[in-house]
Amino acid sequence: MTQEIKTVPFTYEALSQLEMKEGILELQIGPAHAGSGHMRILAWVEGDTVVKVDPDVGFVHRGVEKLSEDRLYIKAIPIVERPSLVDTVNANLGYVIALERLLGLEPPPRAQYIRVITAEISRIMSHLYGIAIYGIFMGSSTVFMWAVADREPFIDLLQELTGARITYSHIIPGGVRWDLPKGFADKVEVALRYLENRMKDYEKVWINNPVVMARSVGVGKLSSQDAIRLGVVGPNLRASGVKYDVRKNDPYAAYADFDFEVPTFKEGDSYSRLLIRVEEIKQSMSIIRQALKRLPEGKVIYEDYYKRMSPLMKEIYDKTGRVKFTLMLTSLSPPKGEAISRVEGGRGEMFYYLVSDGGKNPYRFRLVTPSFRNLPYFTHVMPGHKLADIPVIYGSIDYFPPEADR
Amino acid sequence: MMTFLYFIPNSWLPLLESAFYALIFPGFVAILLLAFFIIWFERKAAARVQMRYGPLWVSKRTGGIIQLLADMIRFSFQEFIVPQGADFIPFVFLPGLLLAFSVLPTVFIPIGPDYSHIFPSSYTLLLAVAFTLVIPVYLVVLGWAADNKFSFIGALREAYLLISYEVPFILAVASAFLLYGTLDLVKIVGIQESTLPGIILNPIAAIVYIIAVIRATGRVPYDIVEADSELVFGPYTEYSSLMFGFVMGVPYIELYSYSLLFSVLFLSGWAPVTGIGFLGGLILPGIVTFVKAVIVMCFLVFLRAVYPRYKLDKAVRAGWSWVFYLALISLLLSAFVSRVLW
Repeated sequence: MTQEIKTVPFTYEALSQLEMKEGILELQIGPAHAGSGHMRILAWVEGDTVVKVDPDVGFVHRGVEKLSEDRLYIKAIPIVERPSLVDTVNANLGYVIALERLLGLEPPPRAQYIRVITAEISRIMSHLYGIAIYGIFMGSSTVFMWAVADREPFIDLLQELTGARITYSHIIPGGVRWDLPKGFADKVEVALRYLENRMKDYEKVWINNPVVMARSVGVGKLSSQDAIRLGVVGPNLRASGVKYDVRKNDPYAAYADFDFEVPTFKEGDSYSRLLIRVEEIKQSMSIIRQALKRLPEGKVIYEDYYKRMSPLMKEIYDKTGRVKFTLMLTSLSPPKGEAISRVEGGRGEMFYYLVSDGGKNPYRFRLVTPSFRNLPYFTHVMPGHKLADIPVIYGSIDYFPPEADR
Repeated sequence: MMTFLYFIPNSWLPLLESAFYALIFPGFVAILLLAFFIIWFERKAAARVQMRYGPLWVSKRTGGIIQLLADMIRFSFQEFIVPQGADFIPFVFLPGLLLAFSVLPTVFIPIGPDYSHIFPSSYTLLLAVAFTLVIPVYLVVLGWAADNKFSFIGALREAYLLISYEVPFILAVASAFLLYGTLDLVKIVGIQESTLPGIILNPIAAIVYIIAVIRATGRVPYDIVEADSELVFGPYTEYSSLMFGFVMGVPYIELYSYSLLFSVLFLSGWAPVTGIGFLGGLILPGIVTFVKAVIVMCFLVFLRAVYPRYKLDKAVRAGWSWVFYLALISLLLSAFVSRVLW
């Protein structure tokens, strides 16, 4: 039955036929519903079986692309961070890499390493948040509270580094805004050890919980062929057995220097999508440790930018490791051209396309977020499951409506 | 008996005693106070597990125990909204009726050895079980009356689960009957006093009973009917104001009557304490029974901190398979034990 529905294309004629059919109940889940997030999910159920799902995206569209085109290049950074508030560093990084490709500059290695460290911390936080949402959608407030609270040590770390708790705007063209503070590596180690211990608790209470297994093993299966065909990205793609990670396949920042695994699972069900997040947290920890161990000395800002700083700003940088925004940084005008960049965000591949006409604002900015690309899970995987599986699949793909709507 | 109430005519005393029993302990007032405690305990215990404070700021000195009072005051000032398409009479009156029916079983459950002269019946077990089983029927009606798709689905889920878990529940109670050979709860406690508590005589029946209670009162992991991420609040979705307070309280009161019955059936009720008269035959044993019931309740509400929600079809399948088989085994065990013991 599942297969038949999967091949039905979405047309309004088919929809109206569905509505005419007897015994089908149309459910509007959201946008004000405990299990919908900031979106409306239209679901048609026959008995307890879902026959069709139509995610109605766009409820929290904020026009990130258009807003960015009205601003200076550097002022677009806080805006590109906004769509995915639990994974801001990766969003910031992708935009800056595209911008650097337009400008034709390469940041110094120390800045690259710091970018990797913050990006991986951000990935850990994003995965923890994903586990939290998965928990609350399955009815376990404990895991929700735990996972949200366990982001705290990492938020504190980045707060010490950047001064902000969620939107850091730490990565700028040519480097990063602050060098690592003294003793940062030790604090990171403390936070990582804390999380390692906590992951054991998660395993006991959540991952090996019989009810979690009963509800998620075999639910929301997507085969690797279908995953490739539908274009899903990130941990969800890897949970379906496709070994694809932008960090490995198209290394950016300093990722080529590190030794890490790309964990994959064959099953492609909700449970493996949970497990893969746990595995990736472990890999991220390993990357952070490697990066801190081999952190190169040097500047955290592009050499040419440093040279062009005023003596006072140079003094501030030498003393505190802080890059003040010079006029040259705030009025970047890249040469005419276009650039793309891809980064592996917490939820998957983020794609950036930046066009410059030689002016001070981006001429065109395009942002493709992983949540938007994971939408086929709603239309293609949910039908055929029970009504109670909708929140389970939704939670397992770590879908974040503001990110999809941009 | 009650010699301190010398100014009251002797003929009034039975009536007064019944009124005390129904209104104060273990009836209305005790239930109200217990609701405060158990909801506070549920939130506080979950908060401890989840690294939070839980209710705190309403009376910080007592650890926020009167949080429920604050909530009720807030509810009482809210507007009560009746949806346009709702069936007015069932929608408005069923919450009160539900509340009444959830309290009623406590009338039949004795709290002390001297209870038999207040409610002289040798079928108290049957009556208590019959009245606990009325509630789900009203829930289904309530879900239908609200004219909301989520309420409707919640009511349907209730109906499915009702059938799949009432059979094991009745079988568990029937195996208790088989074990003790009587339907009189006072005599049942007497038998347990002279031998062993029912939970040792027939642990399987106790387990089946507990599983069925978790289901019937919508505790996690069987809070399938109210499932907030799927159905908002199940059959109660459309309720607001004090009516919401009522329907929210119903599962807790149900839990209380089930736990009271459990403590009488399987935990030997007032076992170590026994006596005659108002104080020795009702109040002191009553407190023991009550405390046992509260411990059972605390265990059941604590499950919220451990488990996520089960799925409807799997729960129904479990109800008709292994829980049902366990119930059948408990019947056999009861037959065997009663054969050996007496």
